[in-house]
Amino acid sequence: MLKITNLHASVEGNSILKGINLEVKAGETHAIMGPNGSGKSTLAQVLAGHDDYEVDQGEVSYLGKDLLELDVDERACEGIFLAFQYPVELPGVNNTYFLKSALNAQRKYRGETEIDAMEFMDLIGDKIKLLNLKDSLLKRPVNEGFSGGEKKRNEIFQMAVLEPKLALLDETDSGLDIDALRIVAGGVNAMRSKDNATIIVTHYQRLLNYIVPDYVHVLVDGKIISSGDKALALELEEKGYDKIIEESKA
Amino acid sequence: MKALDNFKADFENTLQLSKGLIKEIRSKAFEKFISEKFPTRRDEYWKYSDPSSILKLDLNYNDSGDFKDDNYDIILSNGRIVKTLSKFKTGNISDGLDNGDVPKEIFKEEKNPFLNLNNAFAVNGCYLILDSKTKKDVKILNVINNNSDCQAVYPKLIIIAKKNSDSTVFEEVKVVGEGINFVNSVVDIILEDGANLEHIILDDYAKDTYSISNICVKQSKDSNFRSHNFSMGKKLARRDYNIELLGTGANCDLYGLYFVDGENHIDHHTTVEHKKEHCTSNEHYKGILSGKSVGVFNGRIHVHPKAQKTDAIQNNQNLLLTDDAIIHTKPELEIYADDVKCTHGATIGQLDEKALFYLRTRGLNQKEAQRLLMRAYVGEIIDNISNGEIRTRMMNIVLDRLPKGD
Repeated sequence: MLKITNLHASVEGNSILKGINLEVKAGETHAIMGPNGSGKSTLAQVLAGHDDYEVDQGEVSYLGKDLLELDVDERACEGIFLAFQYPVELPGVNNTYFLKSALNAQRKYRGETEIDAMEFMDLIGDKIKLLNLKDSLLKRPVNEGFSGGEKKRNEIFQMAVLEPKLALLDETDSGLDIDALRIVAGGVNAMRSKDNATIIVTHYQRLLNYIVPDYVHVLVDGKIISSGDKALALELEEKGYDKIIEESKA
Repeated sequence: MKALDNFKADFENTLQLSKGLIKEIRSKAFEKFISEKFPTRRDEYWKYSDPSSILKLDLNYNDSGDFKDDNYDIILSNGRIVKTLSKFKTGNISDGLDNGDVPKEIFKEEKNPFLNLNNAFAVNGCYLILDSKTKKDVKILNVINNNSDCQAVYPKLIIIAKKNSDSTVFEEVKVVGEGINFVNSVVDIILEDGANLEHIILDDYAKDTYSISNICVKQSKDSNFRSHNFSMGKKLARRDYNIELLGTGANCDLYGLYFVDGENHIDHHTTVEHKKEHCTSNEHYKGILSGKSVGVFNGRIHVHPKAQKTDAIQNNQNLLLTDDAIIHTKPELEIYADDVKCTHGATIGQLDEKALFYLRTRGLNQKEAQRLLMRAYVGEIIDNISNGEIRTRMMNIVLDRLPKGD
């Protein structure tokens, strides 16, 4: 589904990603772990298409297309979803109206008919239960006045409605208490299928107890220095990043 | 100056059309207008809008032309009444003065030359008495009918909201035909004790329109005035609100939305005179400027010594969509009472890049994302209109006129 080859990216002249290689197949869940400043979030932002990041070198192929040639919204319409580490507040933009506009933009892109109001309400009614969110949040402006946990759940709720092929979860666990973490993980797990894939960017192993990855990659200073299965995440938690970095150099 | 000579000739030629009280009022007003110097950019309140451009025009008085539209209760064409409905107490201002419906105290010597000029040309004009205790809606169309190529028109409307009356007046100003217009309009609004009036004004001028519009409001005890002002500017467009809170417990809410593009110009000067205690004013104006347009907002709150317990809020926000668009915004607070609450604020900004990126990651393209954010921005003003039908209509008109984004 996604193949990243020797990806280099920088922001304002500072090189952050220094040769990433990663292949993600449909049905797989990959976790990318790493210390602060290693480039984890940058990788997620570059894949989503943020203009602040300059791709200096490398290729990214997604479903047979050159991903780097696509605009942000085209990537979204092709099925890439970024769950933000810090979801943006949109004062005055009603949550339901926003979601409906987004879903219809994607349907239009794919040549499908727009969803009607009744069908849409049924759809979001089902999904909102999955994330245990209050109905009242639908009538409020997007993320405005939401608690930290509500914002993160709202991200996964949007993901449930938009049904992406490739989900990028950027530090979705940060700021969540244990109960919220379970709910968010439950939402993500409910959407896992053989046709879609998930990349989880995280600091901590904690989230991976709930969303069990098929692969774990350790990203340090813009490069993947070690890859393995879920056991690698446990090893990291036990030994810390420094030890793994030392071992990789040996 | 060309225009000043024309004003004089037009005034002399039209004076014989008036009889009774209005003739005297017109003469005094013209005398005052002509005796004072025409404002220039050196005058503080005209610093960013140059009225002298009007003086260069070869203007001719025009009040002819007809117009029909079943959607409106009252229609003025170039300031002259061409339609009224008998269910409303309304008529020509000169008749209203003679029969006592319109108190002659409304007309006095004004400081503002454009108020004097409008009074000097009060050949026509319409008054409207609102006396219903159950809510009444009135729709007024002010047509600028251009069948000569460079014309001066002086629409005048006097609205008197009687004691404890409750009404909504929707006033639309539009231009038919092509050519240069100088539109010098005045709306005088009087709210008696306990009167409740919602006034919505929408203008849509043609490109060569110079518009100087004044809305003067006098509020008595416990009256409530809600104003919604939608303006799209043009060559030179200025609208002033002069609100006088003359009785205790009076409240005014002033909402405004202006959007200009190209090389168009919009200027709003608003003044709220807090003259008595326990009055409240709440003003919220928003602008969207693109192209090389210029906007001016000057909001003045004047709290007089007697006006203790005043609660006044003023806020002006501006969205600049292009590098060449300009906004001059200035709050002006003058406070002579010591137990008052006044707040003001002004912001200038662009559409939030983070918000645009967020929307785009959900599948909306750049244009759709911009429009969604602009819709939210204007919604904050439009949502205050209490009449659902007018609110929906205004939202549609505004969405249609919003800059299309890039």
